[in-house]
Amino acid sequence: MEVSKMKILLCDDSILVRKKMKQHINSLGCFNVFEAVNGIEAVNMYKENNPDLVFMDIVMPEKTGVDALKDILAYNKKAKVVMASSVGTQNHLKVAIETGAYDFLQKPIDFDSVTKIVTKVAKEGN
Amino acid sequence: MFTQFFGNFLLNQNLVANWQLSEALELQKDTKLKLGVLAINAGFMTADQVNTVHSAQQRMDKRFGDIAVEMRFVTHDQIETLLNTQKTGHLLLGQALVDKGYMTNGQFEKALNDYKKLYSINDKDFSDVQNGKIEQVIKTFYHFNNFKYAKVFTEYVSLMFKNIIRFIGDDFSPLEPVTTNEFEAGWIATQTIKGKYNIFTAIDGNEEAFIEFSSRFAGEKFTDIDEYSQASVAEFLNLHNGLFTVNISNEQQAELELAPQTVQNNKIIKTSSEMFCMPICFPFGTINILLSNDIPQIV
Repeated sequence: MEVSKMKILLCDDSILVRKKMKQHINSLGCFNVFEAVNGIEAVNMYKENNPDLVFMDIVMPEKTGVDALKDILAYNKKAKVVMASSVGTQNHLKVAIETGAYDFLQKPIDFDSVTKIVTKVAKEGN
Repeated sequence: MFTQFFGNFLLNQNLVANWQLSEALELQKDTKLKLGVLAINAGFMTADQVNTVHSAQQRMDKRFGDIAVEMRFVTHDQIETLLNTQKTGHLLLGQALVDKGYMTNGQFEKALNDYKKLYSINDKDFSDVQNGKIEQVIKTFYHFNNFKYAKVFTEYVSLMFKNIIRFIGDDFSPLEPVTTNEFEAGWIATQTIKGKYNIFTAIDGNEEAFIEFSSRFAGEKFTDIDEYSQASVAEFLNLHNGLFTVNISNEQQAELELAPQTVQNNKIIKTSSEMFCMPICFPFGTINILLSNDIPQIV
């Protein structure tokens, strides 16, 4: 799949993080970017848009990223959800991976890692 | 990181005023280190000798190093060593204060020696951010000594300074902390850490300081407090608290959770036990770091 054909969902309660991520993903040639501000919105937007890739913050109001991840995987067990958090403790990592996260990013987000993940998912989509 | 505390030391000794320190913090970015300041710092020359060379320079067109060697104050090798000295922050600050005429070379020499003696630190400690001695400086400076969370708070604040240097800038100086049960906030980003330790954390500032702090972290210029600037300070706090919980988790196998951050304006923060308010002076204003082991009421 071309990166430009991908649909990506960004879920973070920080408008600044979403803006920076969106700018970076746009710079990779992908403009189908959706934004959710909490876990509940993320699940709803996932169901509406069926994105190819999700970047999900863990600490969020309403519903945490891990709970949203569970709901998304219950809806589509092949969903590719990358968890992003400033809290990168072993336990968080373990819970995220055990729950079925595609990958884990430690904040501050390193945009090179984002590029690698987007490129990898695009290739897998072929 | 000792640089930042050196600035505070100068304030406490009444050697400089708050506004002079702010101005020097701003100026140090463009300050070039002079050999004289380096020589005093290294203990190769006294302030008097440096002044003698400076006066001689006014009469003859020669470089500082050449005159100092001719006068046998230093050797060629020592000059070489000085020229290879790294630019360290406390020297830039000292130089900026001397250049402005707020301090003399003699006052700088004395202050530097007193400061090093007080905390028993050497030149290497000064340039070594990873040095464990910084924790001792912080513990003493903030009077955490008899406090229940002394160790945790010391780690928290040490990491906070590292993160401020990494993400905001090193042009700051910590001011004397205050403990209080009630804090009147301007713009304030808060986040609670829960688990083995329950800690209330916050970053507060007036509008101007909050905007500039948020601009620096985001790497873009904000002109007023909008949702982006609010998100920026909140994200800095979240990032810092995240790194802190990782450290605690690694050291103590204690899992800590972070609650979502909030940003509020004109609130009173009330705690039943004491809350530490740690002001930090930047050229753009003062930012307060708040820390308490009590989850406060915010009204």
